Amino acid sequence: MKPDVYNRIMAAQANRRAMLKGAAGLGALAALNGAGLGAFTRPASAAAAGLDTELRKKILQIPGVGKGSPTDADYRKVGELCLGGTKQTVKEGELKGVELTFMGLNNQNTHDFLFRGFLHPWEEYTGAKINWIDLAQADYNARLQQAISTGTIDWDMLEMGAPFEGDVCGRGLTSEMPDWVKNLIDMDDYVNYLKAPVGTWDGKLYRVSIDGDTHNFNYRTDYFSDADLAKAWKDAGNKSEWGVPKTWQEVQAVTKFLKGKQVKGQDAYGYLDAPKPWGGFGFYFLGSRASAYAKYPGEKAWLFDVDTMKPRVNNPAWVRAIQDVIDALPSEPPNQINADPNETGFAEFLGGTGSMVVWWGDVGAAAKTSDSSVVGDVCGFSILPGSDDVYNSKTGKWEKLSSGPNYAPNLAYLGWGIYVMKKVDSDEKKKKAAWSAAAHLGGKDLALWTSAYPSGFQCYRNSQHHIDEWVAAGYDKDYITSYLDSQFNSYNHPNGAIEPRIPGIFQYYSTAEDILANIFAGKLKAQEGADQIAAAWEKLTDQLGRESQIKLYKAALGM
Amino acid sequence: MNQPVAAGQTEIVIADPIAPGRRLFGHVLLAAATLLLVGTALLQVLDVAGIAPVGFLNWRPLLYAYLVWAVALGAWQVITRGYIGQRALFVLPAALFTLAVAIFPTLFGFYIASLDWNLSSAEGPHFNGFHNFVSMFHDAYYWNALLNMGFYLLAVIVEYAIAFGLALLLNAEIRARKFFRVSFLLPFMLSPVAVSWMIGKSLMEYRFGPAARLARDLGWHTPAFFAQPWTARIAIEAMDAWVSIPFIMILLLAGLQAMPKEVTEAAKVDGANGWQAFWRVTFPMMLPVSVTAVLIRVIFKLKLADIVINVTSGGPGGATDTVSSFIYRVYRDRSNVGYGTALAMFYLVLIIVFLTVLLRVTRHWTRSVND
Repeated sequence: MKPDVYNRIMAAQANRRAMLKGAAGLGALAALNGAGLGAFTRPASAAAAGLDTELRKKILQIPGVGKGSPTDADYRKVGELCLGGTKQTVKEGELKGVELTFMGLNNQNTHDFLFRGFLHPWEEYTGAKINWIDLAQADYNARLQQAISTGTIDWDMLEMGAPFEGDVCGRGLTSEMPDWVKNLIDMDDYVNYLKAPVGTWDGKLYRVSIDGDTHNFNYRTDYFSDADLAKAWKDAGNKSEWGVPKTWQEVQAVTKFLKGKQVKGQDAYGYLDAPKPWGGFGFYFLGSRASAYAKYPGEKAWLFDVDTMKPRVNNPAWVRAIQDVIDALPSEPPNQINADPNETGFAEFLGGTGSMVVWWGDVGAAAKTSDSSVVGDVCGFSILPGSDDVYNSKTGKWEKLSSGPNYAPNLAYLGWGIYVMKKVDSDEKKKKAAWSAAAHLGGKDLALWTSAYPSGFQCYRNSQHHIDEWVAAGYDKDYITSYLDSQFNSYNHPNGAIEPRIPGIFQYYSTAEDILANIFAGKLKAQEGADQIAAAWEKLTDQLGRESQIKLYKAALGM
Repeated sequence: MNQPVAAGQTEIVIADPIAPGRRLFGHVLLAAATLLLVGTALLQVLDVAGIAPVGFLNWRPLLYAYLVWAVALGAWQVITRGYIGQRALFVLPAALFTLAVAIFPTLFGFYIASLDWNLSSAEGPHFNGFHNFVSMFHDAYYWNALLNMGFYLLAVIVEYAIAFGLALLLNAEIRARKFFRVSFLLPFMLSPVAVSWMIGKSLMEYRFGPAARLARDLGWHTPAFFAQPWTARIAIEAMDAWVSIPFIMILLLAGLQAMPKEVTEAAKVDGANGWQAFWRVTFPMMLPVSVTAVLIRVIFKLKLADIVINVTSGGPGGATDTVSSFIYRVYRDRSNVGYGTALAMFYLVLIIVFLTVLLRVTRHWTRSVND
């Protein structure tokens, strides 16, 4: 996912001027974004927040927006300039003789490629040496699981997504973060949902975050400001005004309404579902449709009952979400059943097909910067749609909240982090080296650079929400405001739907994908299929160890 | 000692007179190596099973013990059996290598298939007998994939017919014959993954793919090749066929070129027309080559996975799923090692039985046609 985005950003840096010109149509955007879903906190300015604005400005000029892709030399320069934290805590040459092995991804020349550059000046300063294990993302899970299962962990530091914490931290394989690291990386600056319990197990902290993830809602502003569509909407007997849907009920209505219509001479489509299995990741997209129905305010769990691990995927909330997909598919492009999230987000939505899609921040980041995107000037963002009513799994009833629609952003995947393995704990020098390197990669200023340039990582700190810094770096103000608000308002939402960080979570998702594919192909009814998913999940929970899963699920939710 | 055998003479092997001491030494050598092998395995098993902490850090010493044992076995053959033993050395390395890299892994695979082993399980692997196989019989998704394999296998007949037609064409005296031979072979040189993207995800893309546009021009208004079960199956089969037909074609072409021209010419002289000459002469004579080509193609077909994984992920609703692509998901996405291995082992047995039966039937058929 994210590597694509940043490649697109870089590919489009030559088009930065075009991007800056593309402010037209964004006037309504900020209003649309703010009006319905409410902006949460946004810091006034970087200077007011006490950040090292000079340093941040300086690193954002490396290599400079619109000046081509960063090179390894640029990574090294940025790493050198961000070495302040290391110099505070490690003496020059103090870690000489230490060798660490780092396992991470090599996706499209990002991830490990950047880490090498960032850590090069760190190696020169500290005297430690890092050896690298680079993995393709497709191989990551298998490599990780096999090493754990066979007791052959051959790395000291690990780049890992939070969903795998159950597999790794839950088994006591990681080193607890020392206090000096906590102070160094300023974890108070993390967006709310990345604070504990994420990165923790049994109250112990293990993770240095380097990335944030959430699904947001991407829509076409030209569709929802189209006078002809507005008239047709009224003519069809709709009492509400034609505009950006704010609930899934409205998304459904708009999607059905648009069937057979045309916009600018092309077939118009509403929401784009992603029904094709995608290695487990496709389940997140059903989760985004379901979160507003299933995530009851004040209750942390929404996928399993915490005391029994009984799946909720066949409760009325999830079944309604599945039924929504079934009902919407006939109004979506004819080939939609064979569209996975990648195709839906990048080939379809950015290619001009469809008017609404849910994705990670990558779609929004690429909308203006990708050469293949044709929607850069007409793209708006918000947090995920809500629902007029929400299912209360305790009472077994649907409820309408007095506060209005229920919103529950799907905080899908929770982003990448750096973890240090427990095996280094026996060697104090090595432990210090590993945590120092992790802290360097998780530094506040480095984070700004990685979110502004192709890296595979997105915002995860509140200090990355200073619009003035982005505008100074060359971004259009309205556009970046709308986009960042959709991200941060999801991150900091009080009713965010948190990822269950339990062992084998992708096995649950992948199993569900197979059955969902049969439901969407018409071979199973929504409830029947959901019951099959629940049965398969029960079986999987038994195989993985129910008691252990319950314990880890509670720990994951911070209960 | 044995003397060199002159050409045309029958070799007479005379057993070397082996001294009892030498024979004893051979036996002791083999016994020591066997003891080393068994002892290493035993220590490691006891250690891994948690019975006694007497094993090694890993299983590698067992491999070394096996290599020592293999060398000792060869030496034992020579020491105790002389010249006859030396002859055994021609076969023994290959046999031991096969044992190590084919037979043992297969047997070990059956052991893995008897485990409840999910890589994410906190309890690790544990023996569950035939439970995986029982689960397999209740797994509708596996049987759906097997059923799809039936379709894909039947399609081999069509592939064979097309390949035979092309082979006949390329065997005829046509212009630019060499150019066409190379051209027709090109798809076979392409990676199925590349074909998946070039054809399945580009040419046949619903919105802008040239194949979709052509289909629209021909009157199919919604040319979604992979949205309906049968169109998706046929589209996948067409892509796989496009890659593989050249392989069948080249085997058949080689057979046609090896066929004595006198036979077909004699048929013409006897008044047979082209149709009769083909069915009465060419086709029967080509049967052995045909059977070989089809059998190899069937084996490849049974492993079909790459195109399916890349283009449809088995969809829509499992319509294009193959056994291999399903097992791939069980392994890669679900880390279910025990169950995935059980599925693979059952499939292996099915393939062996199927191919054995197919071989017997075709052998019988070939004989009856040629008689």
